[in-house]
Amino acid sequence: MDTVNIVLCGLGGQGILFMTKVLAQAGLDKGYKVIGAETHGMAQRGGSVVSHLRFGEVESSLVKTDSALFLLALEENEGYRNLPFVSRGGRMYVNTETRDDFPIGRVRDYLEKKGILCRGLPATRIAQELGAPLSSNLALLGFFAAMEGDPIRAGEMRSTLERISPGKFQEANLRIFDAGVERAGEGNPA
Amino acid sequence: MAKEEILLGNGAIALGLVEAGCQVVTSYPGTPSSEILPELIRMAKAEKLNTYVEWSTNEKVALDNAFAAAITGKRAACCMKQVGLNVAADSLMSAAYMGTVGGLVIISCDDPGPHSSQTEQDTRFMARLAKVPVLDPSTPQEAREMAVTAFGLSEEFGIPVILRPAIRVCHARQAIAFEKIETEGRKASFKKDPGRWAATPRFRLILHGELNRKLSKIAERFESLSRYNFHNLEPGKEYPFGIIAAGVPYSVVHDLLREERRKELPVLKIGTPYPFPEKLATEFMSACKRVLVLEETDTLIEYLLRDRQKVLGRLSGHVPAQGELVPEVLHKLISGALVEAGLEPVRDLDDLEASEIVKGLQLPVRKPTLCPGCPHRPAFFSIRKARPKAIFTSDIGCYTLGLNLGVVDTCLDMGSAITMASGFYHSFAQDKIDQPIVATIGDSTFFHSGTAGLINSVYNGARFILVILDNLTTAMTGMQPTPALGIRADGSPGKPVSLERVVAGCGVDYIEVLDPYDTKAMTESLKKAAEYIREPEGGIAVLIARHPCLIAYRDEAVPRKRVTITDKCVQCNFCLERFECPALYHDQALGRTAIDRQICSDCGVCLQICPKGAIEEVEAL
Repeated sequence: MDTVNIVLCGLGGQGILFMTKVLAQAGLDKGYKVIGAETHGMAQRGGSVVSHLRFGEVESSLVKTDSALFLLALEENEGYRNLPFVSRGGRMYVNTETRDDFPIGRVRDYLEKKGILCRGLPATRIAQELGAPLSSNLALLGFFAAMEGDPIRAGEMRSTLERISPGKFQEANLRIFDAGVERAGEGNPA
Repeated sequence: MAKEEILLGNGAIALGLVEAGCQVVTSYPGTPSSEILPELIRMAKAEKLNTYVEWSTNEKVALDNAFAAAITGKRAACCMKQVGLNVAADSLMSAAYMGTVGGLVIISCDDPGPHSSQTEQDTRFMARLAKVPVLDPSTPQEAREMAVTAFGLSEEFGIPVILRPAIRVCHARQAIAFEKIETEGRKASFKKDPGRWAATPRFRLILHGELNRKLSKIAERFESLSRYNFHNLEPGKEYPFGIIAAGVPYSVVHDLLREERRKELPVLKIGTPYPFPEKLATEFMSACKRVLVLEETDTLIEYLLRDRQKVLGRLSGHVPAQGELVPEVLHKLISGALVEAGLEPVRDLDDLEASEIVKGLQLPVRKPTLCPGCPHRPAFFSIRKARPKAIFTSDIGCYTLGLNLGVVDTCLDMGSAITMASGFYHSFAQDKIDQPIVATIGDSTFFHSGTAGLINSVYNGARFILVILDNLTTAMTGMQPTPALGIRADGSPGKPVSLERVVAGCGVDYIEVLDPYDTKAMTESLKKAAEYIREPEGGIAVLIARHPCLIAYRDEAVPRKRVTITDKCVQCNFCLERFECPALYHDQALGRTAIDRQICSDCGVCLQICPKGAIEEVEAL
């Protein structure tokens, strides 16, 4: 298979690392070669956090600009900030509450020109309504998996999540993941 | 059957240590090295191994300990970040001369960027300085293999070996396959040989000669160590252009040539930059008209190449002399060098327009900040209130973020809060200027490098206030225990070392322990301390501001006071500027300051901050 490059981004505390872990493990469970890079230390104290994940016969842990097929953003501005990574024909999944002006004007024109698909999901609200406000990461992940199906199907990702969630969070994690999956069936949820 | 697990690079290194039968591992935490020891402990526990592990008080202590273990014939490792190796340099230089019996591997993790360090220094130069071999892995998998190789080399030649992973190896995640680990422990035995283990200068000269002989033999070995040093030249063929790549840049070159279908381009990979496999490099150089050298972080290989006329690198201006060599940087500079050599470039990276758009959006840059409820915040608030005109010397840890609160003026190195405070004191006192100085240092940093400076300050009569920000953990690097806790690296009980008693033992007569959550009391204490240091019999006043880190201790650390902001808020922004809690923000719709319920820790400290009393407690939780 061709290399699949994924960039995940958000702010410190939003659960980027766990989201990456689920995605990486799901990739491994499916038999892909997996490598990636994450941010630790200073940047995690509330600043921008970016994590890179690559499926394929590669050795470098970092995704290059103009090379990511997928961008998953837990915060809208962080999504825009990482725009240079997305390649022609790539897809963006963004946690946002904004309905009317999303993605914002200049970005929209650029995405259109480059054939990049951009979908928003109110992941924070979904997670909040289900009583776990800090789990927006899993809502977005469920949504992404259900919309794409490739490289990993939602069902496959769900079993990985079920297996690696710590016992006391398992049920809540799956509920929020499922809510993200459900949104994918509703056309344009943003 | 081999199981496959996604490991952090630091986990892969830990796996290599375990597979090599390493029995003793010491470390001081520091990004990007901190996870090696915890990962090793996890694996050792799973395999029921009797590995001795410790969080040492600093890197020199760690290396001395590992060195002693190694000369009893055991395999020992010592893990740190690159600037930690500066602290351990005294030990390293001498250990290189003495050599070792059992394998001794030093893992020093570099931080090109820098992402979380004071400098971008290159550990490979420290290896060259100390005259010890260094291995430079490109991936977690290779780092794991090199850890095993390093022990073999160390034992065969009786020399400490450095493994130098960069941050993109340490904090990469990769699927790693491994089988059940089987290792056999060795029994400690020490053969007395004062001519070697306590050598005087005359014997040191002999040891230096031995070291040089070991290095030439190792250099010979590296020439043929084709697992880590290899190229794809066809015999007799001449090339207009070639690449020498090492470490993380090699992994990027590997991927680039594969995706661009340019595998015919000659590449020499160097996994053992010192001692340098010179014949191999010369062979490669003579087949290529010009050679681009890609290495992190500095110019070691470039310096070691004899025929520098052909070399494109940092010295020729082809490669940036600072900053991380991320894939897009390498992609573009390789493309440029190809064109210069009259060859086809690689594809154009179409990222400029997106970068311009992002620039145009002027996205808010969120600077790192102390967490909501962090006890350092009220400590800094009180310090600024009580001593607004002071020079604020500080140190390395989360609390360097006191910068945002205007209460950190300097941060030089570990322990410098204290040593710079005494330096400032004497410099001003010499001119008879009464300059207030408040130093802040964390508990772990104090144990690491504080005592020598404090003893020096007391002995030489400096006067300043030292606030030890005691959050009962090493927070910045991931909540490792400190000596004061009585918990050891593997979770077993240790003897707690009292911070108060250490401070008293350094000769300090004025010590007060307080809770920084009470800003009024802390402000008063600071004022009293300020009086003490100016008394004829006064000296250094130490305040231990003790409150547990919220991340490490969660619910135990917060009083759970839920607060709200009322209409009394006049938008003076005092709380936003002087307290800078991320849970406080300006709400445009409300036209006043509001609380971000999602991240508020319910610490209730902001109740004490608002000059208008607009922050009120709503209910006891």
